[in-house]
Amino acid sequence: MPVADDIQASWADEVEIDQGALPPPSEVVENGLKVVTEYKYDNDNKKVKIVRTYKIEKRVVSKSIAKRKTWSKFGDSAGDKPGPNPATTNVAEDVFMQFISSKEEAQRPDDGELDGLKPPTSGVIFKCRTCQGEHWTSSCPFKHTQMAQAKAIETAKAAGANRVGSKEPSRRDDVAAIRISNLSNFAVEADLDDLVKVFGPVHKLYLAKEKFRQDAAKAIQTLNGHGYDHLILNVEWSKPPQNN
Amino acid sequence: MKPLMLQGHERAITQIKYNREGDLLFSAAKDSKPNVWWSLNGERLGTFNGHGGVVWCLDVDWQTINLITGGGDSSCRLWDLETGKNIATIKTNSSVRTCNFSFSAYQAAYTTDKAMGHPCEVFIIDTRTIDDSISTAAPILKWEITDSKVTSMIWGTLDETIITGHEAGDLIQWDLRTGKKIHSVKEHAQQINDMQLSRDGSMFITASKDQTAKLFDTSTLELLKEYKTERPVNSAALSPILDHVVLGGGQDAMEVTTTSTRQGKFDARFFHLVFEEEFGRVKGHFGPINSLAFHPDGRSYASGGEDGYVRVQSFDQAYFDYTFDYNRE
Repeated sequence: MPVADDIQASWADEVEIDQGALPPPSEVVENGLKVVTEYKYDNDNKKVKIVRTYKIEKRVVSKSIAKRKTWSKFGDSAGDKPGPNPATTNVAEDVFMQFISSKEEAQRPDDGELDGLKPPTSGVIFKCRTCQGEHWTSSCPFKHTQMAQAKAIETAKAAGANRVGSKEPSRRDDVAAIRISNLSNFAVEADLDDLVKVFGPVHKLYLAKEKFRQDAAKAIQTLNGHGYDHLILNVEWSKPPQNN
Repeated sequence: MKPLMLQGHERAITQIKYNREGDLLFSAAKDSKPNVWWSLNGERLGTFNGHGGVVWCLDVDWQTINLITGGGDSSCRLWDLETGKNIATIKTNSSVRTCNFSFSAYQAAYTTDKAMGHPCEVFIIDTRTIDDSISTAAPILKWEITDSKVTSMIWGTLDETIITGHEAGDLIQWDLRTGKKIHSVKEHAQQINDMQLSRDGSMFITASKDQTAKLFDTSTLELLKEYKTERPVNSAALSPILDHVVLGGGQDAMEVTTTSTRQGKFDARFFHLVFEEEFGRVKGHFGPINSLAFHPDGRSYASGGEDGYVRVQSFDQAYFDYTFDYNRE
């Protein structure tokens, strides 16, 4: 016959019991350490186990202090057990002294919290491509001078540096460059100069002659497929950049 | 070291003090119950229940037998420390702002506020035998302060004088045989919140709302040193073993809620006594520090703040290893 004690309570009952009672607090003293274990419910109604470890120290003190140590607690602490009551005494997080010198203090900015959000008062974000000044290129005071034109041509040259016999390679509206086509095969640079200098000063002239084009065609023919430095060269007409 | 947090009060701390041997720490707050703690482990020994309002001040005699407290309930009370019993209650006309035992504890002094149509007054009472008769006994001496009220007070050398710090920033030394002024200086521009003697009593430090703390000679009231900060100083204490001064403060309690902790600068600040230069800070409180005290052995200090906590902070070895570099160019 099974005895009543052996009959297991149903799991539903167990939960009920569990909710109701907390394990009793325990206090263990060993090796100069006192370990206090407590159980309680936290704010979310969950069971929490609290383990506090105290170090027990012995100190030699004067008679008067030793006598005071025997005083019993009074007032609101009258019911407290020996040892610190966790309700009134806690150990805070470690705090260390920050050593400073007054010089550092003087140099520290007053309140640097919002400084990072302020726009930089100085420091140029953009600059003129012509004169490197602090304005847009289009509003440059030197826009209509030779300096600006020279700069524009220089830029254009960089863009179309290895184009052979092509037109003046600029597509910018504000560049004062013109293209003259349908010239005779016999025209030379001097003729071209005579043609345009009556309208104003000319910075640079370039005459794309068919003669050069023939040389180029010959060069392509010869060099394409020629072995050079252990590589086979590929030579063809340079194409004008795609205008997208 | 991890500081001890003592949470015995429900409201802002007004004053904290160690007894002479440093084993007990007393704290008074704007709630009605002063507390006493074992300074070593932060265990609360007890509370002194009886006041009916704010407790502004407290002091303990040199033998740690009695405690004197004064509060906003217009009473000055004497307590037995062993049992926490209220031995005597002296009724006053207005709230008691400061109270102190003389060194010998043969006398005690307390001052009352100028309020409710009553003037600010200083009382000297006989405390050689403390029993209920003190409640009704006439004071040995009392005099009226006609100008600004007393906000802090200490006993001078050999219990022959007392020094009062006033709301307007004056310091006055009084002769107890005649009740007359001996010295009067006005070095502070605003209210003097706290005064604390050095270990030997030859100097004392004042903490003022005018954002400075100053060191004075106890017998001549000569200004010796000045420690400048950028906030009101609520309390200042002198280290008993090193040439260090600790200052605590922050904005006024009423302005605290409008500023963040970081801005408030609620840390305890350590200055060199002689060079008047700050060398260290310790954080901790969420509000201004209202009262500071060095442990008599100089190896820890306690601070009580507007946040209602008392923090007992032991110094690390780094504090003792630190030497002030005064050869600096």
